[in-house]
Amino acid sequence: MEEHGEFLIPASRNEVWRALQDPLVLKQCIDGCEQMTVINADEFECAVTVKIGPVKARFNGTISILEAVQPESYTLKVAAEGGAAGFGQGQAHVQLHETNEGTRLTYAVEGSIGGKLAQIGSRLIQSFSRKMARSFFESFSKQWVA
Amino acid sequence: MHRFNFRQASSIAEAHSTHAASDDAVYIAGGMTLIPSLKLRLASPNDVVDLSRIDGLSTISSAGGVLSVGATARHCDVAQTTDIPALASLASRIGDAQVRNCGTIGGSLANNDPAADYPAAVVGLGATVHTNSRAIAGDEFFVDLFETALEDGEIITRVDFSIPSRAAYAKFANPASRFAIVGVMVAETSSGVRVGVTGAGACAFRMSSFEAALSSNMSASALDGIAVDSSEFNDDLHASAQYRANLVTVMAKRAVAQLTA
Repeated sequence: MEEHGEFLIPASRNEVWRALQDPLVLKQCIDGCEQMTVINADEFECAVTVKIGPVKARFNGTISILEAVQPESYTLKVAAEGGAAGFGQGQAHVQLHETNEGTRLTYAVEGSIGGKLAQIGSRLIQSFSRKMARSFFESFSKQWVA
Repeated sequence: MHRFNFRQASSIAEAHSTHAASDDAVYIAGGMTLIPSLKLRLASPNDVVDLSRIDGLSTISSAGGVLSVGATARHCDVAQTTDIPALASLASRIGDAQVRNCGTIGGSLANNDPAADYPAAVVGLGATVHTNSRAIAGDEFFVDLFETALEDGEIITRVDFSIPSRAAYAKFANPASRFAIVGVMVAETSSGVRVGVTGAGACAFRMSSFEAALSSNMSASALDGIAVDSSEFNDDLHASAQYRANLVTVMAKRAVAQLTA
């Protein structure tokens, strides 16, 4: 499973870069995120309630920032544990390009799930990752629209 | 199984207020998706509000060219109707006998599984979904993966299908679950030709390029050479996005062939 996309954000590359590291911003942009705790500059802990169709499960996860090349690109690695529901992991590679209209953000996301979720949800993981990634980057770019 | 409070509702208003008073409630109708999820502990609500015994909610009636199907009408009940043979045929091919004997049209639509059959009928026949507070056009009802236009706590009460002059539904079913890998409803309605597709994308949608081609020539060959964009299609262990794109054309052609036979 891999999912790509891009958004044009009306802000400078440095501003976008800073926001992408900000745990408060990340919290606001992750659907169902209830808590985001800073462990250190490159690592956060989060609690997210995922609701998709009949499934509603709370996941506790770690988000790590890897391969950061300021202010051009980084990789976000997420590992999450959802108790009885199962577990998931994924990463998003984000790149920022300067353009005349602002910053073009491109992303490539991949993920996988295990446990009971995978038993019944394997046919849905691709559409679900697409939906989550889109919703994240849409909320993220909306910060500059208002 | 997770412990929860079972709330038997005797009216729509009671169901709605019980749901609103709980901090974590779900509705149950046929339970064909919810019960397995509860058993696997993929859902753990505090309250389960039962809609299945509300008086009149399962009524099916036909008047003035409109087939009105109550929200808790079961698939096996819809399969017995005669007003829209394509709809009855669709209902008779959902899941297995247990699913058809318990599952309801309202439950299927509110759940909005991307591979469910009914969404193809709601979009393809241009139905109207009525709820406890409003009427939602079929074209507006399905929003995204498992996401509908329904607000939190809103209850589907019935689905109105305008009876088309002719219609047919063709599906390529998963041999184990009978879910639609791709299902296509083609209909000739008073407002023109409609083509509703399920199983291919995140939720059901219309194929306007097919509709335009079939409007001028209702034959399978009219669909030859029309490209189907698979970039947003589902891609899983059952079928790749490209395979689904091909199936959209093949199923649409089968539906047209059936409808013109």
